[in-house]
Amino acid sequence: MQQRRNENSMAVRILLVDDHPIVRQGLRTLLQGRGDWEVVGEASDGMEAVEKVESLQPDVVVLDVTMPRMNGLEACRLIQQKHKNAGLEVLFVTQHDSPQMMREALDAGARGYVVKSNAARDLLEAVESVSQHRVFTALARSPQASG
Amino acid sequence: MKLRILLADDHEIVRRGLCSLLQKHEGWEICGEASDGREALEMAKRLKPDVVIIDIGMPSLNGLDTTRQLMQHDPQFKVIVLTITDSDQVIREALDAGARGFVLKSDAARDLVSAVEALQSKRMFFTPRVNDLVLAGFLDKGHIVARNEAPSLPTLTVREREITQLLAEGKSSKEVATLLNLSTKTVETHRSNIMRKLSLHSIRDLVVYAIKNNIIQIQMPAQMHSPAETPVA
Repeated sequence: MQQRRNENSMAVRILLVDDHPIVRQGLRTLLQGRGDWEVVGEASDGMEAVEKVESLQPDVVVLDVTMPRMNGLEACRLIQQKHKNAGLEVLFVTQHDSPQMMREALDAGARGYVVKSNAARDLLEAVESVSQHRVFTALARSPQASG
Repeated sequence: MKLRILLADDHEIVRRGLCSLLQKHEGWEICGEASDGREALEMAKRLKPDVVIIDIGMPSLNGLDTTRQLMQHDPQFKVIVLTITDSDQVIREALDAGARGFVLKSDAARDLVSAVEALQSKRMFFTPRVNDLVLAGFLDKGHIVARNEAPSLPTLTVREREITQLLAEGKSSKEVATLLNLSTKTVETHRSNIMRKLSLHSIRDLVVYAIKNNIIQIQMPAQMHSPAETPVA
């Protein structure tokens, strides 16, 4: 089993979850510019995400909402139940540009919410925020970070 | 000389993924990226790429109409259509529009390089589901398309299809006129003709028509997921 970071000097370990490999590749490309972040794995649905959180122990899970077998909301709830006090954070990156879905995501235990169409603009700031346990939410026109 | 590829997808995250995938291939370069069909048309005409990769579900001008207009402008364009769905109707429309490649977005990481290689060698590339349809068409009727099922879209002109998409996306006649460099009166005349041709009575009817005929795509709620309906972004 891998180990979550426990000091600031260690890399932020990130798990990417999306059912489309090409989107995961795009996310990876965006994240790889940061030397202090490490993509430790990928999953293609919610069920696989729950399994990989167990085995890889990431610090941040970047999670899609709409996926086969188990959607992201359900996966987020399960992950949060199992890892409630482990310091793990979930950031949704989704096509759903709606306050209702954002509310559902936060209620499920996510710390961040980014719309896919703006991922190139918002993703890095969002990962930075949630990795420091700060909330980051951004619908298409309104990025917002808070402590 | 490098093979020059133009990418058109409204999601930058997808374009990043596609770029990353294609740039690994020696001898290929991404000569441009467009975020909607209208931009793709302009860039294709200006940059004259060897291969154009076009997402179907784009705002302003969808990928099928972009392909139609590109092929009208120059039938030598080699277009690969990227799509989230492999429904018979979309496949038929893509083939009719002149696409030489058809790749599911969910399979892009696996199939797109093969598709570009095929077009580079003056061959076509279709995802296995399309190959099955093409084969079935030949075995059944000697045609790729079931011609007795009259496609609903060709009754509209290229301009009418463009205007249908923009109106269905919620733009006013004035906004459409500005976007297409037409007068508002001309747009309203087109709008009346569209409604008459399609026997529609309201904008709501027009939106339903546009969704049913893949002119625009809608976002599915998370709980209604099925793999064939999953938008990529």
